[in-house]
Amino acid sequence: MPSSTSSSDGLRDARAGTPDRYARQTAADRPGVAQPVPVRPVPAQPWGRILLGTVLLLVLLVAGWEEYWRAYGARPGIANTFGLWSIQRRRIDAGEGAATVLLGDSRLYFDIHLPVWERLDGRRPIQLSFEGTAPLPVLEDLAADPKFTGRLLIGVAPDVFFSGFKFRGAAVGYARKESPSQRIGQWLSMHFIEPYFAFDDPDYALQTVLARQPWPVRVHQRLPVRKLAMTESDRNTYLWSKLETDPEYRTIIRNTWLNHMQRWDDEPPPAAALKNEKEQIERTAHAVAKLRARGVKVLFVRMPSDGAYLEFENRKYPRARTWDALLAASGVPGIYFADYPELQGYELPEWSHIKHSDAERFTGELYKVIQRDFWGPNAPGVSAKASAAR
Amino acid sequence: MVFNSLTFVVFFACVLALHALPLPWTAKKINLAVASYLFYAAWNPPFVILLWVSTVVDWYAAQGLVKAKRPTSRHAWMLLSVIANLGMLGYFKYGQFLLDNFTSLISAVGIAYHPAHYDIVLPVGISFYTFATMSYTLDVYLRRATPAQNLLDYALFVTFFPHLVAGPIMRPTELVPQFAQPRRATAEQLRFGLALMTLGLFNKIVLADSFLASAAERVYDSDKIPGALDAWAATLAFSGQIFCDFAGYSTTAIGAALCLGFAMPDNFRFPYAAVGFSDFWRRWHITLSSWLRDYLYIPLGGNRHGARRTYAALMATMLLGGLWHGANWTFVAWGGLHGVYLAAERVLRVRFANYRPGPLAFVALGLLTYTLVNVTWVFFRAKTFGKAWVVLRGMFGQNAAAKPILATFSLLSVAAIVGGILLTHWLMRARTLESVIARAPAAAVSMIWALMAFAIIIAQGAGNAFIYFQF
Repeated sequence: MPSSTSSSDGLRDARAGTPDRYARQTAADRPGVAQPVPVRPVPAQPWGRILLGTVLLLVLLVAGWEEYWRAYGARPGIANTFGLWSIQRRRIDAGEGAATVLLGDSRLYFDIHLPVWERLDGRRPIQLSFEGTAPLPVLEDLAADPKFTGRLLIGVAPDVFFSGFKFRGAAVGYARKESPSQRIGQWLSMHFIEPYFAFDDPDYALQTVLARQPWPVRVHQRLPVRKLAMTESDRNTYLWSKLETDPEYRTIIRNTWLNHMQRWDDEPPPAAALKNEKEQIERTAHAVAKLRARGVKVLFVRMPSDGAYLEFENRKYPRARTWDALLAASGVPGIYFADYPELQGYELPEWSHIKHSDAERFTGELYKVIQRDFWGPNAPGVSAKASAAR
Repeated sequence: MVFNSLTFVVFFACVLALHALPLPWTAKKINLAVASYLFYAAWNPPFVILLWVSTVVDWYAAQGLVKAKRPTSRHAWMLLSVIANLGMLGYFKYGQFLLDNFTSLISAVGIAYHPAHYDIVLPVGISFYTFATMSYTLDVYLRRATPAQNLLDYALFVTFFPHLVAGPIMRPTELVPQFAQPRRATAEQLRFGLALMTLGLFNKIVLADSFLASAAERVYDSDKIPGALDAWAATLAFSGQIFCDFAGYSTTAIGAALCLGFAMPDNFRFPYAAVGFSDFWRRWHITLSSWLRDYLYIPLGGNRHGARRTYAALMATMLLGGLWHGANWTFVAWGGLHGVYLAAERVLRVRFANYRPGPLAFVALGLLTYTLVNVTWVFFRAKTFGKAWVVLRGMFGQNAAAKPILATFSLLSVAAIVGGILLTHWLMRARTLESVIARAPAAAVSMIWALMAFAIIIAQGAGNAFIYFQF
């Protein structure tokens, strides 16, 4: 415990070598007595001029930073936060339990355009997908929520879905425990900050920018994924145009996928991976059964991929072992893009997501397929298909 | 709400505006009290009830102490406060811990017991405000202070938002008298207060969250075995992170209070330049260490009853101080290590009473202190003893098969920031921040202030909670 020697003893002025006129004792110097009102001196400085100078310099710095990122191609957008996701999740609690929910990874997230869907369907779906995240945690959350009685479109990107990868897996927990302060902060940010500042994106955060400089390699880490998409306030999201217009940036993203595929090939060991796949399928089937028991219409969709990504998926997650097994175990129909001519032929600049303009067209085609074959009033025997699958 | 959030920016602007209105002083105090309850309710509204319970119990206990004629009555009122506060703390913070330990204990003697798991949510800052309210009753009991004149002043002392959830732990005698007279910040206080808040948030958002936290997480929260470089880098990163996080909170709190015209005590004095452990504890979390000294170490006998009793009081104080930080035996080990350090230092001070270190030895002793403090941080940061041993073995070069964990950028960040912190602490160890600012050219102050604010903005902090909130 503190001895009688004071940490405040002998404080000296920085340059003059004289006793520090701002020195004061702390509670450490006064054992066993009532502590007096603290002293909080203000350094003698022209604080008005200092504040003015600070504000001017800060405005210049921020304006310069904003200009730099706009010149790079960045534009203001809404941040894809847990808070934004929670707003959509709460729509189910707030009377929209009968809505269509889109639940998947980045492909369902970027490639389905909510305005197009709404134009065709009359109702805006609830977008609950998250990039790099298997839908299972949210699926189980929805299965346990009796308020949800609508329709559910589940996206299947084989590497994410069957590995159970959860880049943003904490969303459900966040939504359940979101504090009033966090809700207010989300609202303030999406109304007063995000729509105006292009630099307000995790990809341009100071530490992220510094970390991706060409430092000597010490550890072969999984490459972080650069910015891919633009998000709007209801989570309508689309692939960033820079991927179409900037070949260098497109190459960066493709190399990132190749890096991930390489690591995916290395780990985990096949036996563990197969066991994990089986578990993901079983848990999915269990959650889907709960949903269907209360009348929720469920449909899986294998979204398009291309190039090296598609080759990797076909090799690492063959359709018969994964997709077919999933449909068989769950007894739910599914749309595999390769089976439908109208769902093919779109441009995927980095092999994994459809470019913005094509995605709008793709949404329309997908909606038509869904209505024609599964959910529409004239769909031929959805129940028959499901029965056959069983 | 946390200081590093947009919600707080808007909240604080509203509070400043309300405080500047030409209203009666009582109305301004009511505004501050309501604002403080809103500040706390923004986490979890029902927990405001706990604040009220703590406030009301200690208010009436202090009133009872003043009116009590007999020593037993005084004793009873004091005990009521202590039991109510520690009871609340015990239930919410240590309930599951005690149950788990009880289960383990009886399992060890062959009795199978499987209690239900209680999902008890820890109210933010409960360790801080229960200590603050207890100090009120204990000061009155020890006749060091008289009770507050009115409930509003006392309630505001408990709930005043700058110190409510993570300190500095204030004593009633430090804050209640400030509510007696109208207070409003001068223009200079407001501007300096804003500068302090920027400094605090820079420490938290930029240094702690953006650069240091990830290095500690990659080693401490993974199942990889670290080698010497990674283990040391992660531990040094955590030493910097926890300082920047907690000192950052204290500085922001002090600045926020100053903007409203109130003074709060120093909580840190460049602790990584401490020479010896008693010096460290006079510089680290000063308001907690002095609280433990005044209300635990001294009542346990302090150094007034011989060496054996002194060491016993010292160890008891540090062990309980460790437990205060969290319901885990690793925190107790952290406190215990500090207790051992302090006891060993005491022995050495007696044995070498006439030793006066030269300049080099002084710095060497300072670095030795910092190194040993880092060893304690391993137990503070690791979630289990198993993990702590793995990291310690790495720090002492015993993990032969270890592979690199941290990237070059992480290592460089840690080296630059922690090196900068150490250098700053040594340069500032006998100075105050205010004296350095007073001597600096105004343009330099502007530039540093603007650069810190700019770094805060472009680091895009995610509103991460401060580490000490969990305590």
